[in-house]
Amino acid sequence: MLVVGYLSLPFVQRGLLEVLFLAVAAGALGPWIILRGLAFFTHAVGTAAFPGLVLASGLGFAPVLGAYGVAVLFAGSLEVLRRRRGDRIDSTTAIVLVGALAGGVILASDVFASRASVDSLLFGSLLLVAPGDLLLAAVTAVGVTVVALFAARAWLATGFDPERSGSGGRRSRVPDLLLYGAVALAAIATLAAVGALLTAALLIVPAATTRLVVRHVGRWQMATGLLAAVEGAAGLLVATELNLPPGPTITVLAGSLFALVAVARTRAAAAAVAAAAAAVLLAGCGATDDDDRAVAGPRIVATTALIADWASAVAGDRADVHAILAANADPHTYEPRPHDLLATAAAAVVIANGLGFDDWIEPVAEQAGFNGRRLDLSAGMPVRRGDDPHWWNDPRNAESAVRQIRDALVAADPGGVVTYRRNADAYLARVRALDAAIAACLATIPPGQRTLVSDHDAFGYLAGRYRITVVGAVLGSGSGQAQPSAADLAALVETVRRERVRAVFGEEALSPDLVRQLARETGARADLTLYGDGLGLPGSPGGTYLGMMAANASALATGFAGERRECG
Amino acid sequence: MTGEILLEARDLAIGYDRRVVVSGLTFSIAAGQRLGVLGPNGGGKSTLFRAVAGALPPLAGSLVIRERVGVLPQTQRSRLDYPVSALDVALMGALARHPWWRSAGRAERRRALEALAAVGLADRADSLFGELSGGQRQRVLLARALVEEAQLLLLDEPFSGMDTASATATLALIDRLAARGLGVAIATHDLDQARRFDTVLCLNGRQIAFGPPAAVLTRPVIEETYGGAIVDVPGGGGGILPAHHHDHA
Repeated sequence: MLVVGYLSLPFVQRGLLEVLFLAVAAGALGPWIILRGLAFFTHAVGTAAFPGLVLASGLGFAPVLGAYGVAVLFAGSLEVLRRRRGDRIDSTTAIVLVGALAGGVILASDVFASRASVDSLLFGSLLLVAPGDLLLAAVTAVGVTVVALFAARAWLATGFDPERSGSGGRRSRVPDLLLYGAVALAAIATLAAVGALLTAALLIVPAATTRLVVRHVGRWQMATGLLAAVEGAAGLLVATELNLPPGPTITVLAGSLFALVAVARTRAAAAAVAAAAAAVLLAGCGATDDDDRAVAGPRIVATTALIADWASAVAGDRADVHAILAANADPHTYEPRPHDLLATAAAAVVIANGLGFDDWIEPVAEQAGFNGRRLDLSAGMPVRRGDDPHWWNDPRNAESAVRQIRDALVAADPGGVVTYRRNADAYLARVRALDAAIAACLATIPPGQRTLVSDHDAFGYLAGRYRITVVGAVLGSGSGQAQPSAADLAALVETVRRERVRAVFGEEALSPDLVRQLARETGARADLTLYGDGLGLPGSPGGTYLGMMAANASALATGFAGERRECG
Repeated sequence: MTGEILLEARDLAIGYDRRVVVSGLTFSIAAGQRLGVLGPNGGGKSTLFRAVAGALPPLAGSLVIRERVGVLPQTQRSRLDYPVSALDVALMGALARHPWWRSAGRAERRRALEALAAVGLADRADSLFGELSGGQRQRVLLARALVEEAQLLLLDEPFSGMDTASATATLALIDRLAARGLGVAIATHDLDQARRFDTVLCLNGRQIAFGPPAAVLTRPVIEETYGGAIVDVPGGGGGILPAHHHDHA
């Protein structure tokens, strides 16, 4: 597809509009961020929004309000501290930032439990721009431009002569507070578009780049706005073409251009470099081929590689199955790729795991304009305590999932009913056989030895099915980013010793440090790993559902028995 | 020729927090007067200027300032990487007379250009501040003070780092401004320059002396001010060998 072709896609249009609004804000403020030494503050104020997001998620108000509330508090306390202590703005920013982050972690770990909406704002995406985001960006663009118009002379004078800007010591504090507030507003608006980690890509890097060639503030602002718009739009289109996440793409683009201009330096050379870069980008875009395959049946989108494995087993060659989350990827830090939205827009059925495991499919489906059939597999499951989303670890639930997928495919594509039924029946037979084999394998181990300690509470369904006792998990269920407390770890060591646990299990997708630590303290073995959050990489033993279950069962049996066992 | 009193200090003590840097200050500056402020580094010259500019409250005594004050910081502390022209800097002076949100109108631009002409830099209005010489930068800051309509100018060691030609031009400019009725206080290490001014103020942690140079700049006062011995330089005036030598390159 040609680049121009993407302009007709609604989610690309919204992303472009968002980028243009933010470019206006970047032009109005970017030069001041650089002149006044606020680059670190700009980065920090977005990152420090974390406690506001946790509060908003816990108390149920709009995340943007929480983020902006914290940002304004941040700016205010920064100004007070800076005036009172006379510190450099960098060190004061660091102090306030660390305080905000620590407050956020405590709020997230010990006061509220939910984290989905927190992640979604910290890792915002240009592909998922909602009307509210657009409104915020538009208000920001207009607001900061007006403020910058009126306050420019005061900002310039203060930065030029910080001790006193020529008014006999009676300098107003209002312009500086306005500057911090405007930067905070722009940083929060950018959060929604590119995420906290990439705020600099829009607000700082374009201004730093244009500074190399422009020397007057007014022209510098114009050039910055223009460059931010071009980089943002080009980044979004390139990302759409090459199926990259837009935020990092824009960042890499902006950073590379800065480096090129810094090297070239003279105006003529910089212009030539920019033209060459644009030509290369356009040529690259035009050269890429589409990987559209002609299939008879419907297109299916599965949120995870695991669900895609089942859907492919049922669909065979008749349907085109697209998995959004790659195998072994962390579902908590997912940023959608452009092809995910393109596939979702064209899909007849979207299949999700449910129970908070893949909530991000909601905005993806909405932005893609998806209006087909949605299937939440967990809706038909007996759900364990605490809405544990790892239901597939009980093969009977996998059978239920395969039957639901079969029925959804038949409803979407009645002509394929024979194929889907035949494929599903064959797969279900293999699942039942595996289930029986695992049960038989584990039954050879005395129940007292079937005690499971792992680093992540993902095996409740498995334990229930095969009469395994879960005596502890290093981490609670849900997030792989939580940290255990010293008391929790000590209690777990005590449990492992008391129950004479022979093996503690690591997880394929998580760092093995905690499990190794536990093994050192207790003498249990720690060399066995389990697949907890889904499939392993393609080609690995856990690359398919059947392979993954067999690998998990073998690892468990080996650990329980204290000798090598193969199950399934 | 002296006019109304612009600044008057009585038993003034100033410093940071509760730590007194310089005390016992009793002096005044009148319109049209040039005051040379002498003293070693750390003797209290810059602290006094900060207090007059309003950045430090008096710790004791009284300090009465009747007119707008314009401060010229030591120019080597200015940011030379700032994207401002000489005209931009001169225009910053207008901020002192208007609310911060008011933009600079045509009248302000004309006033700024006139001020640049008055300091002899009419042809450098569009030059970047950072690309001017040290003496030219000092004169741009003087132009800013003129746009502020400051009646009392504080020049903190304006001649340090300046070549002889620039220093001579700046001294002539100070004379012209004083002739127009401005009060000018100049912190300096140069005794010969100080002798040209109307009054001198000698500081070394406290006020050593204040008055006309002929009466004040005696050998004992200078020795007390600098805490050193006077060295007679053959063929020239008196030089100072400060106890704590500190070079301004």
